[in-house]
Amino acid sequence: MRIRADLRAAQEHAWDGIGQAGSWWSGAERVAIASETRHAVRCELCAARRETLSPAMVAGDHSSLGTLPAAAVEAIHRIRSDSGRLSGQWYHQALDGGLSEEQYVELVAIVAVVVAVDTFRTAVGVSPLDLPHPHDGAPTRIRPRGARHGIAWMATLAPEDRTAEDPDLYREHPGPRERYGANIHLALSLVPCAMMQWWDMFECMYLTSPTMRDFGHEYRAVTHAQMEMLAARVAALNRCHY
Amino acid sequence: MIDRASETGVPHAALLLAFADAVIAGNAIEAQRDRVIAALGDAAMIDAAAVVAGFDGITRIADATGIPIEPAKAEQTADFRSELELG
Repeated sequence: MRIRADLRAAQEHAWDGIGQAGSWWSGAERVAIASETRHAVRCELCAARRETLSPAMVAGDHSSLGTLPAAAVEAIHRIRSDSGRLSGQWYHQALDGGLSEEQYVELVAIVAVVVAVDTFRTAVGVSPLDLPHPHDGAPTRIRPRGARHGIAWMATLAPEDRTAEDPDLYREHPGPRERYGANIHLALSLVPCAMMQWWDMFECMYLTSPTMRDFGHEYRAVTHAQMEMLAARVAALNRCHY
Repeated sequence: MIDRASETGVPHAALLLAFADAVIAGNAIEAQRDRVIAALGDAAMIDAAAVVAGFDGITRIADATGIPIEPAKAEQTADFRSELELG
């Protein structure tokens, strides 16, 4: 079995990136988030909550590795185990618990990378990757100046709100990236490096915006229609609202 | 889950959906993987796995950020979303 070179490289790049200092978490903290994401699968509280009509009906403590603040642990576990029932109220409780909205967004991206890479490797029958090595370095703490609240629970940077000091997250001129600024593109835009790490990997797992819309050519060994059907199935299984 | 794979008109729909279901449930993955490989080959299994895994990640991003679906997309997929009891 041979995994596409670009797919393998994209996943390895995203994985190694977890160990680098981010914008709002250190490399060690980012690896701890990845580790907690894996640990959440075995959490008894999460399992009990999944069986109830509302997760608020079950009180208790998460089974945690103990290296991250409680608000981060709650966020990681809920996103990993029950993302289809998250709410704006729950998000604001995470902020009240001590997470900044920037820390939260970066955490979401790390959880998503871990879920995607681990699910892929399980699906194709290869062993999971070891956790990345944490590198030294301080978070950059750079927030896009044009970011504003409106479309999501947290601020986002829409293409039309970008200032001269903000990175071009959607179209590089010249550059390999062409993202049309769909709502889902905006989701992680408050933390540009997190957004780039996710989308650079995801587009190798799925398709880029231009190739997604090019129905005259097939870019993968499964067709556009087969990919859309699979995507819809996973969204339904995960009770995704989007 | 309403299973209308045979009505989709998508080639090998039932096979691919069974693979996706197995991966997300973490149950009987090897058997479904082998069926996909036997019918479509290694490369198709890998690309199907990549789509399933990628969307297992991106659904977390969508739900954890409260990002809404665009009104036009919601309208286009209204029937489908209702059938699947999505919001």
